[in-house]
Amino acid sequence: MKKFLKPVEPILDKGLDTVESFIHTHPKVNFLFGSLFGAFDGLLRSSKETTHTQPFIRNNYDVKRFMGAVLVALVVGWVLPAIYFYGWQGVVSKLLVSFVIGIFVVDVIWAIIARENHISEGGFVSCLFIPAILPPQAPLWLVGLGAALAIIFRNILGGVGNNLVNPALFSRLFLTICFPALLVTGYQTPFVGMPDPHTFRYGLDAITHATPLTAFKANGEIASYLSLLLGTASGSLGETCRLALIASGLWLIKMRVANWRIPVSYLGSVLVFSVFFSLIFGKTVAPPLFQLLSGGLIMGAFFMATDPITATYNQTAKWIFGAGCGFITVLIRDFTTLPEGVMYAILLMNLLAIPIQSLMVKIRYRVQE
Amino acid sequence: MLMGKKAGGFKGGFNLLDAYPLKFCNIVEDISSDGTPETFHFPVPTQKVEHVIVNLCPTEPWALPNWVILRHKTTAFLSVLKEIKNSHFSSARFYIAINEKEDRTVADAKNFACNEDWMSVFPLYAKYPQDDPVILTKVILGMDVHFGQDTESLGVLILDAQTVSSIYESCILRKNVNSRFIVLSGTGLKENEILNVQLGTSIGKILKNKSKEVGRYRVFINGPLRGQEITDLSQKTDWSINHIVVLEEKDRKVILPMIKPDELVLTTNVLGELRRCVSCNFCDDICPVDLEPALYYHSYTRGEKHKARLYNLGKCIECGLCSFICPSKLELLEIIKECKALDKQK
Repeated sequence: MKKFLKPVEPILDKGLDTVESFIHTHPKVNFLFGSLFGAFDGLLRSSKETTHTQPFIRNNYDVKRFMGAVLVALVVGWVLPAIYFYGWQGVVSKLLVSFVIGIFVVDVIWAIIARENHISEGGFVSCLFIPAILPPQAPLWLVGLGAALAIIFRNILGGVGNNLVNPALFSRLFLTICFPALLVTGYQTPFVGMPDPHTFRYGLDAITHATPLTAFKANGEIASYLSLLLGTASGSLGETCRLALIASGLWLIKMRVANWRIPVSYLGSVLVFSVFFSLIFGKTVAPPLFQLLSGGLIMGAFFMATDPITATYNQTAKWIFGAGCGFITVLIRDFTTLPEGVMYAILLMNLLAIPIQSLMVKIRYRVQE
Repeated sequence: MLMGKKAGGFKGGFNLLDAYPLKFCNIVEDISSDGTPETFHFPVPTQKVEHVIVNLCPTEPWALPNWVILRHKTTAFLSVLKEIKNSHFSSARFYIAINEKEDRTVADAKNFACNEDWMSVFPLYAKYPQDDPVILTKVILGMDVHFGQDTESLGVLILDAQTVSSIYESCILRKNVNSRFIVLSGTGLKENEILNVQLGTSIGKILKNKSKEVGRYRVFINGPLRGQEITDLSQKTDWSINHIVVLEEKDRKVILPMIKPDELVLTTNVLGELRRCVSCNFCDDICPVDLEPALYYHSYTRGEKHKARLYNLGKCIECGLCSFICPSKLELLEIIKECKALDKQK
């Protein structure tokens, strides 16, 4: 790889330098394409900033790597399994639509209007989430709309570092309110077995089935735990293969991108509260292990709730944050007409994170104002 | 996180020795001064010294390695220490902090300590900033010292290996000590060296013919983490200079940095773009005194600098690890210093 790139490097470097100096000498071009070029350049080349204050050396770890790790984990966690279960055509086309509309249309236009210096990499993560949390048969325009909403909402609040709630989940909430019919149907049955050219391309032909949680709400039917774990039960495009999600989530924790306290407390509290409610209400509520393995819980716990910006900063408060997510999830699943509550739980706790954070800081430092 | 409460005695910290392994030439070169060299004079503490900590646990890779002073003869060094104790600090107790990875030194010191009741040996995990006075007194003596406080007023004296040998030569052997080991290292040099420099030599003379010809470099005395940058190379060396680090500046863009991981390491490049705080918790995981540096940043950006001191700001030992680790490349140490300065004005 290195050898292959060696002759290309000087040409590329020089080319980028030429474009950069061209852009900087032409204010109008800079106005329109400066941020786009900045993002592209940032992917290929390192920054030229040097340190001017102590300490004079810095660690070789930046936000780009941080986000890159999330992207890698998401690709392994849901894109590859989804391609196997639902065929590459649907998955790839949805990803393309999501990225093109989210990043290359909405984010670029926003950067031009708002005169931002660069397009931040957080948008890639949001756009990679959008197809994953929609049903496998969601139309492409819905995916595009979701991506656009997520990016707009993220940018309104000031982009990476200022998010109030998880933008991808907020966009799904918006879609759930606006297009309820599209979000409760379209749960295609995943393909199982050796893929032939046809299934590899399309997956199974349009056989839909209620998600395990909806089926339980309707007639108390419990899907097999193995099918939930491996991903052969129906569900949103990216949430079905829990095994891959758990593996990539653990890798994220090892890379210290996701904080281990949140998945542990989230899954732990779901287990505790579902055991508690099962003991009181018996078979009318979902059993604990079924709750842990169904719906978007694994994806939510490892990827959504751990989004560091929307969680609390204080480490102790992260336990409360995770436990709160788990409690609300179980409450919604067990006692409302909604089959699934992960989205609402995380969004609500994102908002509650702010008071929890300030409370914990006050307790820790005994701040008197 | 997981590196938390390991055998270091304190939470957080960072193992710089593993992150930036530096190799030194075994030969020590002598450099003589042009003028009359300054002689070492050990200021005998006026107050009664109860505890003497001998720091043989350098945690920065550019610091003077133990073998230069000990010459692999730990017992001889400890005998020297005994003489110093008998002549100067007869009532004090000695604590020897040694890097636990140097097995032979630890074993020799422990053997020596078996027969001596005035000293105890502490094998320590050499992660930065283990050798900071605040951390060292906390880990070894369990005493709370504030940053910047003079430990001698508490009856604690902290010595490093080089000072011990200088005290021995000047106060006991009555020799004129006018030279000092200075470690020269960094990416801006042809090779890393240890020099025996007569004091008063200008830094320019030391660096002559030693830096790489290509590319610009910057010179830091006492390390790039806690030290100062110097631009005036005619500055003379004195007793406060332990090591000189010369780093490549690298103020240009490097293409495809992900496939060339060594290209920018140990240069003054910030290795990333400036972003807003993403609350990644790296700074409070690494903080050796259990603070939450991001809180200062949030107070600072909201324009509430005065609030920062409510969050235990005084405990900060200014080790610089929060700025070092920050993936958003925020100048956290600078913000902390500004908030502290505000406190002093009041």
